[in-house]
Amino acid sequence: MAEAAKKIALTQDGKKASFNLFPELCKGCGLCMQKCPVNIIVWSTDLGVYGTPSVCTNDQDKCIACKTCEMVCPDAAIRIVKK
Amino acid sequence: MTREEIALAPNMPKCWNPETKPHKFCPGCGHGLALKMLGEAIDELGIQDKVVFGCDIGCSLLSWDFFNLDSVQTHHGRTTPVITGIKRARPEIIGIAYMGDGGGYAIGAQHLVNSATRNEKVTAILINNTNYGMTGGQMAPTTLPGQKTETTPYGRDPEETGYPTLGPEMVASIAREGAYVARGSIANLRQLKKYLKKAIQNQIDGNGFSFVEVMSSCPTNWRTNAKETWSFVEKDMAEYFHVGEFRVPGQKEEK
Repeated sequence: MAEAAKKIALTQDGKKASFNLFPELCKGCGLCMQKCPVNIIVWSTDLGVYGTPSVCTNDQDKCIACKTCEMVCPDAAIRIVKK
Repeated sequence: MTREEIALAPNMPKCWNPETKPHKFCPGCGHGLALKMLGEAIDELGIQDKVVFGCDIGCSLLSWDFFNLDSVQTHHGRTTPVITGIKRARPEIIGIAYMGDGGGYAIGAQHLVNSATRNEKVTAILINNTNYGMTGGQMAPTTLPGQKTETTPYGRDPEETGYPTLGPEMVASIAREGAYVARGSIANLRQLKKYLKKAIQNQIDGNGFSFVEVMSSCPTNWRTNAKETWSFVEKDMAEYFHVGEFRVPGQKEEK
């Protein structure tokens, strides 16, 4: 099976990893914000697929690239790309 | 915060059907997490072309076009016997029956009990979100004592309506040698994936019935925000429903 088609991602670069969010997948449930061990995920002004706020990080340099947010996202709307 | 737009492939399991994403489950629903772990388990075992996926009525039917797998949708707990029939007709396939707690413990309990008693070589996965999600959050067999739902506005009273069903414990006590029975939680996804993989592997090995209950969330009907959702799954539900493996083939009875 071919790899999933590419979608538009909003990316934020940091020291260890970049935080990529797919607005057309994010439903704004907020599960990732609660699970982030360094508490850097906050509501964003960009809207998700249901017109609810999506998420971004307020200081991507603090990201430790643990990929917890990627794992707990039920919609696979977050992708962490390590450097 | 400046953000650039780039084209990138989302990190979905390979057996997901990307055309149907975003899926139809509510924001924060545990089905998405359970199906993500199931998808990763199928990917890691490399069995995408052999799996037949059956889903039940209720919220779980929204997974009918979730995977790039052969899928069938049935009503009221009949997904276990339908998958059993497919497995008997074509023993080389891997049958996965996916249902909710209403389909598995209430209206379809007889199918689950009889499949477990006969030790059918299928894998049943049951999502426990403590209510009937699709119809608006009525009391289900798994509703916790004191929990408020549409039909128990003062909290569930065990004197009147009995105690919640402990499914894996029940299946473990009736299942024969070779069965695999476990309960996972969306609060511990790596462990959940391990259980799902073992359950599918148990069927591939031809040992017997495999059953995994997944403690899941229903933020829409619980009326919880993300923080309260996690705390309900991790604390309130975990107090009553215990995570762990109840039957592992080749091991002596535990507990």
